[in-house]
This record gives sequence, structure tokens and C-alpha cells, in this order.
Amino acid sequence: MIKLENIIKVYSTGKVEYTALKGINLEVKKGEYISIVGPSGSGKSTLMNILGCLDRPTEGKYYLKDVDISSLSDDELARIRNREIGFVFQAFNLLPRLTALENVELPLIYAGVPYSKRLKLAKESLEKVGLSDRFYHKPNELSGGQKQRVAIARAIVMNPSIIMADEPTGNLDTQSSIEVMKIFQALNEEGATIIMVTHEMDIAKHTKREIRIKDGCIIYDKSVENRIVY
Amino acid sequence: MNLYESFKIAISSIFANKLRSFLTMLGIIIGISSVITIVSIGQGGQKAITGEFEKIGVNIIEIKVDNNASLSKKDYFTLKDVNVIKSRIKEVQNAAPFFQQIGILKTEKAQKRALFMATNSDFNKIYKLDILYGRFLSEKDVLTKRPVLLIDNISAKKLFGYEDCVGKTVKIGNNEKMIRALIIGVYKNENGALAASFADNMPIFAYIPISVSEFIFDKTFNINQIEVLLENTKDSEAIANSIIRLLESIHHNKNKYKAENLVKQLDQVNRILSIFTAVIGAIAGISLIVGGIGVMNIMLVSVTERTKEIGIRKAIGARRRDILIQFLIESLIISLIGGIIGMMLGILAAYLIGSILNFAPKISISTILIAFLFSSAVGIFFGIYPANKASKLDPIEALRYE
Ligand SMILES: Nc1ncnc2c1ncn2[C@@H]1O[C@H](COP(=O)(O)OP(=O)(O)OP(=O)(O)O)[C@@H](O)[C@H]1O
Ligand SMILES: [Mg+2]
Repeated sequence: MIKLENIIKVYSTGKVEYTALKGINLEVKKGEYISIVGPSGSGKSTLMNILGCLDRPTEGKYYLKDVDISSLSDDELARIRNREIGFVFQAFNLLPRLTALENVELPLIYAGVPYSKRLKLAKESLEKVGLSDRFYHKPNELSGGQKQRVAIARAIVMNPSIIMADEPTGNLDTQSSIEVMKIFQALNEEGATIIMVTHEMDIAKHTKREIRIKDGCIIYDKSVENRIVY
Repeated sequence: MNLYESFKIAISSIFANKLRSFLTMLGIIIGISSVITIVSIGQGGQKAITGEFEKIGVNIIEIKVDNNASLSKKDYFTLKDVNVIKSRIKEVQNAAPFFQQIGILKTEKAQKRALFMATNSDFNKIYKLDILYGRFLSEKDVLTKRPVLLIDNISAKKLFGYEDCVGKTVKIGNNEKMIRALIIGVYKNENGALAASFADNMPIFAYIPISVSEFIFDKTFNINQIEVLLENTKDSEAIANSIIRLLESIHHNKNKYKAENLVKQLDQVNRILSIFTAVIGAIAGISLIVGGIGVMNIMLVSVTERTKEIGIRKAIGARRRDILIQFLIESLIISLIGGIIGMMLGILAAYLIGSILNFAPKISISTILIAFLFSSAVGIFFGIYPANKASKLDPIEALRYE
């Protein structure tokens, strides 16, 4: 489903150039549940942004469902972000003026889904993450865990091929983190492909495959033993 | 994403910042309302002045023998000329010969200076004098050279102590020849105030049949003027020229005649008023541009403020044009609402000022349409840069923005 070939990312701020990714090769199959761990500044988010089609690599090839991403225009990338990828951020990134339901509806709006269908899908999605009683709450009326669940509902509402989560539990307490992990596990069991960046080893233990990054290189890539399953 | 969703997003963000949106609109409101007020007042004033002019007859042309030219007897007009003009120029509704001469008018008690205006019955179809008593000159009066006259009401009052002096006989003429004449009518002197200021020095304004004038003032008489009434005020200059050419071909001469027409003066007044309206309107229009800059300023602030929102929208699939349209519609709505409010205020102000200045402002459809188009144009023009800036934001950098 995903194939990275020698991905290099160079940031140039003024005269200083910084190579954040130094030739990443990676293959991800459908239904995988992967964690990416590594020290701060190692390039995890950089990699996630490229995987999520938010950013383009400086060099290398990225194939998503056999499509060469580097050949696509900005609008085509937007379409891929809309339909193929569900992104979950550490900082939730909900629109503060919209209700939970409206936030979940957003990807559907950009996909051009008509109102009644949109409403149905958004509600189903929120029900899936256990927020059927929070449709009309604004983000500031929700707890951190609830916010992240709204964000997950938004990420899965378009039924994407792959879910990308950049430290989804980074801002959550243990209890909320466990809830998020339970949702991810359920989604994975339903067939969703999930890639998640995390700092915490016990969060990584929930996934099936662990990848370690250091200084922009993959230094470890093995399946997880003694995986935590609920 | 469809336009309806864009509208919803735009409206909700306008309402999220009510005060700011209103203050931004204020620039547009002031711009549009002042333009509308000024243009409506200007056009209304123009219409009022045109109306005044029409009352005194803008569709009348006076064809005159040019006294600056070297003239011989054959250059002066004849009664036949008048008929030819009437029959040959189709835009001419009526025409009358005219000659005026200072002379003397005597009653039993007094002797006064009088201005004798010699013409025929058609004259009153052109000038439509307000006949207070009696009647105007008739065709028969002219044909039979009846010694009759009309005088103005102010003179009548001075001469007889009362206005209704129809039936009185006076003597008219000059030092050489005086004849008895019957007063058959009294008309209203429209220059009441002017007449009063002349006090006793004002002559008597008397109309007499042109044939009678020819008889009394035989030495000086000639028809040096023709009054022409046109069907309408259109192309009066061209018609005047064709009348002059016709007369020149009859009299076999050149450059001896001239035409005077109030339309020329009306055009001039209109031109001055139009320029005046346009200049002040343009100055007011500048305030609209200032308003537009205000819209742009706020939209730029809004784009910066909502960088994160833009990043989020892009991350979940908004295309460049979705973002562009969202912000463009927002500035368009602000300008349009401002334009509508401004238009209403402008019309209101125009009526208010009009009622103070005592004339109706002219609210033309084109003024309203232009206001609409202008405010939308301002919204789009000044919105396009911020919207484009928003649409071009890099999703990653936008998401990172705090
Ligand atoms: N836009 C940018 N311009 C310049 N350098 C950047 C930019 N984004 C990231 N970097 C640099 O690239 C490196 C990798 O950053 P990245 O955000 O991928 O790290 P990370 O592994 O996600 O770290 P953390 O665990 O702290 O989130 C860092 O050294 C960072 O300073
Ligand atoms: Mg990171």
C-alpha cells in the first residue's frame, strides 16, 4: 500500500541546510498497525508529514496505492489527504468555532458529500468513538480525550485507506490514552491501516510493528512482542 | 465544496467578529452612501433646473437677423418665410414673426413709454401667455389690421388703477403717428419682482398685430425675428441650422442670421452641474477606495489570525480554490452588506437633503446598480490579494502557526 524509496528531506532555513530524513526506505501493507518511535528531533514528524501528503520529500519516491505522489499537483494532493488519509494530530487541531459534529463533517464538505448523507456519516463516526452524546459541543466544552476522539472521528469519517497519528496521546493522561488505543485497536481490527508516532514505549507496545528512527534514519524495524491487546 | 458551504463559512466568520466586521463595513457604507447621496442630489438638482428651463420654453428657438452683418432690405424676414419654415421643417411645431419697437401709449390722463411687440396669433401658441382678461391677438386682427392691443397686468393697474381694462381705448404710436387702439386683453406679467424694481420707469409691454405695427412704424418696420416652437428639445441646434440654411436659400444670402436657444444655456448649466456632481462623486468615490483598503486590511489580519484554521482545512482536504473562495466570499459579503446599507442610507440622506433644499432627488436605477457593482468590485478587488495569500499557505507551516 505504501512504499518509500530513499526518501530524503532537507530543510533550508536561509543559508543553513538541515537534512531531517536521510534516505528512508519503508514498505507498509494493508492492515498494518505501526508505531514510529525515536528521540526528539529525529525526524518522526517530518516522515509523518510526508506520509500524510502534507509535505513533499526533497528526494526519493513515495508510492501510495501505486501512485507516485511526487508527480501530483497541490490540488491532487489535497484530494488524497481528503480521501485516502486520516490525520490525527497531537494538538487535536479542531476548529474552535464549530461543534464536534461540524468538525467531523468538514472532510465530507470538501469531498462534496450532500448534507443529509454528511450528517449521517458524521454521526456514525462520532458514535464509533463513543461520543454520541457530544454532537453539539464545541471543542472548548470537551476534555482532551474527547477532543482527540472527535479528531479521530474526523480522521475516519471519509473511510480512508490509512490513518496517520502524530503523537495522538502526547497531550492526554493515561486513561484517555488507553481509550484512544482501544479505538485504534478496534479500527485496526476492522481493517484500517494505522501509522502512529509516539514517545512512549508502552503506547508503542499497542502496535504490531515498531520502527525506530534516529537522526533521520531507520535503525530498527521489528514486529512487537508481548503486544498489549484489550 | 459548493458555494453554499462557502457562504455559510463566510457568514459564520463574519458573525464571529461582529464588531470588527461592522467597522470594516463602515468604510464601504460611508463610501457608497456618500456617492449615492451626491449623485442623487446632483441628478435631482439637474432635473429640477431642467424643469424650470422647460417651463420657460427650452424647445423654442429664436431666429434673428444678425445686426452685426451688413444688411439690406431683402435680408429681413417675410411672413411667407414663417409659413415656409412651418411647412418645410417637420420638427417645427409652430412659428411666429416678431418685431419690437419702443413707442408711446397715451390714455386720457397719461402718456407712457411702451414696448410694442408685433406678432400674430401663433405667438401665443408658442409662448402660452397667461391671459388674465380678454383674449390674445387673433388671425382676423392681423388680416384686417384691427388696431387692438394687449397690455400686461402691472401696466394696466398703473394706467387705470385696476387690472381688468379690456374695452378701454388708448392711443398708440410714436411722435409722428398715433392711432386709437382697443385693449382686447390683459396678460400676466411674469416678471413681477423685476417689474416692481423698475418702478415707474418700466415701459408698458404691449402686444399688437404685426400688420398694425407695419402701418404705425412704417419707417422702421421689418420682421427681424422669427419665434420657432419645436416638437421637442432634441437636436435643437441642428434644426436651427437647417432653418437658417432654408432662409439663406430663400434670401440668397449668407451669414446674416443667427439662432438663439435656451437649450444651449440649459446644456451649459447641465454640463457644469454634471461636472460638479462627477467631481464631488469622485471625491466620495475615493472614500470607497479607502473603505476597500479597510476591507483588505481586515482580511489580511483575518488570514493571519486564521492561519491555523487554513492549515487544518488544507490537512483534511481543502483545495487551494476552496480556501480562495472562502475568503473571497467573506470580503465580498462584507462589501455587499456595506453596499446595501450604504445605499439605503444614501437614499435616505438624499431625500432628507432634497426635502431641505426643496426638490426631489433623482434615484436612478443605474446609480443603484453602479453602487452594487462597485461595492462588489471593491470586495473582490481588495479581497483577492488576502484570499490568494491564504490559499497559497503551506499546510505544514500553517498548522505549525500559533
Ligand atoms: N520547517 C522546518 N525548518 C527547518 N527545520 C525543521 C523544520 N521542521 C523540522 N525541522 C527540523 O528537522 C528535525 C526533525 O524534526 P521533526 O519535527 O521531524 O522531529 P520529531 O522527531 O518529530 O521530534 P519531536 O519528537 O520533538 O516531535 C528537527 O531537528 C527540526 O529542527
Ligand atoms: Mg514531532
